[in-house]
Amino acid sequence: MSKVIEAIKVCKTFGEQRVSKNIDLAVEQGSIYGLLGPNGAGKTTLIRMLSTITQPDSGEILFKGEALKESHAHQMGYMPEERGLYKKMTVADQLLFFAELRGLSTKDAKASVKHWLQRLDMMEWARKKVEEISKGMAQKVQFVSCVLHNPQLLILDEPFSGFDPVNADLIKDLIIELKNQGTSIIFSTHRMDNVESLCDHLAIIHQGEKVLDGGVSEIRRKYATGVYEVGFYQAVEWGAGMSATGESTLISEQLQSDGKVVYRFQTSDSFSPDQLLKLAMGKGNLVHYSEHIPSIHEIFVDTVSKTAEPIAGATIASGPL
Amino acid sequence: MKNIFVIFKREYLTRVKNKTFIIMTFLAPLLMVGFYAATIYIATETGDDDRTKTVYVSDNNPELLLSHNPPANYVLLPAPSDSDSALAHVERGLVHGWLSVEDRDLRSVDSATYYTSETPSITEKESLKEWIRNKATQRQFARLGLREGQIDSLQSSCSLETKEVNGQGDVKESSSGLKSGIGFALAFMIYIFIFVYGSMVMRSAMEEKTNRIVEVIVSSVKPFDLMMGKILGVAAVGLTQFVAWIVLAVGLVFGISALFLNSGNGMTTQQAVQTGIEARTGMGGMGAGSGTAVSMGGEMSAQGSGMTSGARDMAAEFTEPLSNLPYFQILAVFLLFFVGGYLLYSSFFAAIGSAVNQESDVQQFMMPVTLPLVFGFVIAQTVALKAPHGAMAKLFSMIPLTSPIVMVVRAPFGVPFSELALSFGLLVLTFVLMVWLSSRIYRIGILSYGKKPTWKDLWKWLR
Repeated sequence: MSKVIEAIKVCKTFGEQRVSKNIDLAVEQGSIYGLLGPNGAGKTTLIRMLSTITQPDSGEILFKGEALKESHAHQMGYMPEERGLYKKMTVADQLLFFAELRGLSTKDAKASVKHWLQRLDMMEWARKKVEEISKGMAQKVQFVSCVLHNPQLLILDEPFSGFDPVNADLIKDLIIELKNQGTSIIFSTHRMDNVESLCDHLAIIHQGEKVLDGGVSEIRRKYATGVYEVGFYQAVEWGAGMSATGESTLISEQLQSDGKVVYRFQTSDSFSPDQLLKLAMGKGNLVHYSEHIPSIHEIFVDTVSKTAEPIAGATIASGPL
Repeated sequence: MKNIFVIFKREYLTRVKNKTFIIMTFLAPLLMVGFYAATIYIATETGDDDRTKTVYVSDNNPELLLSHNPPANYVLLPAPSDSDSALAHVERGLVHGWLSVEDRDLRSVDSATYYTSETPSITEKESLKEWIRNKATQRQFARLGLREGQIDSLQSSCSLETKEVNGQGDVKESSSGLKSGIGFALAFMIYIFIFVYGSMVMRSAMEEKTNRIVEVIVSSVKPFDLMMGKILGVAAVGLTQFVAWIVLAVGLVFGISALFLNSGNGMTTQQAVQTGIEARTGMGGMGAGSGTAVSMGGEMSAQGSGMTSGARDMAAEFTEPLSNLPYFQILAVFLLFFVGGYLLYSSFFAAIGSAVNQESDVQQFMMPVTLPLVFGFVIAQTVALKAPHGAMAKLFSMIPLTSPIVMVVRAPFGVPFSELALSFGLLVLTFVLMVWLSSRIYRIGILSYGKKPTWKDLWKWLR
C-alpha cells in the first residue's frame, strides 16, 4: 500500500515552546490513523501542518510522495476541533461555498451538495439558514462540508467532541464507509474508546513528541504484560500446586459486582498457560480464563506517565502562542 | 486567484441578498435627505426664541430709539426714570429686560447695557447690538442731513466673478463655491465609505473568527487571499450601493422635474432667469412672477427684482462653471483615491478584526486607525477648502493616510498631474506595504484564541 501523507522529522516552535519535536508519521492509503495525546500535547499543531495551514520549522511533509504544497489542500478534507458555520447562510449555499473553496467547479459542487444532502436525508433543510436548524443537523452539515470534494485524505481533529451520541455514531459509520472507498483518515482524539474500534494504526503524542506508534493490535500485543486472569463464581484457595505452573505469582484478587471473583497472575517467560488452566479447573467452578491484553487507555496512561518530565506540556495552548 | 474570487463571491452575494441591505439601499437616501431637511428646518425655523419680549429702553433720546422698527419679537417701552424701579421690574419679571443706553451720541456700541434676569444667547445679544448700531448709524446720517432714501442709495453691493485662465489661453468662468462644495461632498463620501465598509470588513473577519469558521477556510485558502477576497467583496457591495443611489438620485431628479414641468407649478432655472430679466427691464407683465414684481411699487418691487436677479445671478454663477469643471479629472481622482484609500484602511480594519476575540476588544486598536482618517477630514474641512493650493493642503494630500480625503477636496480646483501621480504612487506603495503587513497579522490573528491581544502581540505577529 502506498503512503498518502508522510511527515519526516517535523519540528515546530512557538516562541520558546517546542510544540512538535522530530515527529515522524506515515499514513497508508485507505487506513485510519489515530493521533492520541492529552490536551495540549501538540496534536492540533501537527494536524495544522499536515493540512497546510502552517508550515513546519524544519523537517518535511510529503503528500503522495511530493513535498506538501498548498494545491494539495484540494485533495484533503479538514474538520478542525474548533469549528463553525456561517449562521446567516443557508445550508446549501454554505456547502456550495466550501465545495468551491476546495476546488470544485460550480457545477460539480452543486451535484456533490445534492448528493450528500440526499444521502443524509437533509434535502428539505437545504434552503434553511444555519441559525434555523438544530445543532445536530448543523453538526452533520459541518461533517459534510469537509467531504464534499471527495478528498483522498480526511483530517479530523477531535471529530467526536461536541457531537451527540446519535450523530457520533453516524459520523463513525461515514468514516468507515469512506475508508472502505479508499479514503485515508487521520483523526486526533484524547478519548480512547473510539480508537480501538476505528483505527488501524495509532500514534501517541506527548509533549510534542511521538512516544508510541504502530498498528493497534500489534501495539496491544506488544504491551501484553503476561498477566492472566482466572475467574470463579466463588473465592478459591490457591497454594498447593502453584509451583507446577512455572513462574507465576498471584498479584490481585477482585470481587466483581456480579459475584465473580477474578484472580490475576503475573507470569514469566517459562510460564505454561495450560498448567494454570489445569490447576484452576480443579479449584472450583471456573467461568473465565484469559490473557489480559491492556486497553489502549491503559497503554496511553502507562506511556504518558512514564515520560520523565512532569505534564507541563498540558498547559501549552493548542494554537500558536 | 480562483480562491479570492470564491471568497469575493460569498462576501458579495450574502450581503447584497440580505434584506437589510436592500431596504437600506432604498431608505438611506431618503433618511439622508430627511436628516438634512430636518437639520435645516430646525436651524432656520425653530432654533430661534420666538417669545415676545417686553423690554424697557432708556436713552437720552428715547423717542428715536422707540420710534419705529423694534427688533423682531421685542416690544419696547420707555423705562421708568429711576433706575432702581427699572431693575426691580426686571427682577420681578414684569418686563423681560432693560436696555440702558448711556452714551449721548450713541457712537460707541459698548455704551449700552442690557439688564435681564436670564442671560441672553449669543445670537440674541448680537441682534440687539446690531439693531442699536443700525440706529446709531441712522442717527449719524440724519445728523449729516441725509434723508432715508439717500441713506439706502449709499449702500453699495459688489459681486466678484472669477475666471480661470488655462494653459491654452482659454478664459473660463469658474466658481470657488461650487468647487468647494463638490470637493467636500466627494471627500465626505470617501470618509463615510471607509468607515462604514471598513468596519464591515472588520466585522466579517471577526465573525469568521468567533464562529470558528476560519480554520476550515484557511486550510484551503491562503490568509492573504481570504483577506483580499473579503476586502474586495465588501468594496463591491459599497460600489453597488453607490451605483444604486446614483441611479435612484438621477431617477428622482428626472421624475420630480418631469412632474413639475407637466403640472406647471414650478419654474425651471431658465424660466426664473427669464422672469428676472423681464421684471428688471419692465418689459414683462404677462408672466405671473414678473407681473406682481412690476405692479407693486416701492419696497416690494425692489425686493422682487432683488429676488429674481438673485436667481439669475445664481443660475449664471453655476451653469457655466458647472460645464467648465474638470469632470474627468475630478472623477478619475475620486475613483482612484477612493479605491486606494478604502483598500489601505480596510486592510487595517481586517487586521484588527482578525486579532480580537470580541467586539469590546476592538476599541483599543481602532483609535490609531480612525485618528488619521478623522484628522484628514478635519484638514479637508479647514485647510484644504480655504487654501487648496497652500503648503498644508499640499502636504496632507501627499501623506497616504490623509491623501484620499484631502486630494479629492483639492481636485476640483485643479491639481497638477505631477502632484496627483506622486500622491497616488505613495498611496499605492503604502497600500501594498500595509496589506502585506496586515496579512501577516491576519494570518496569525485568525488562529489565535484566548487572551485579549496586545500591541506587543501584534508586533510579534508582524515579524
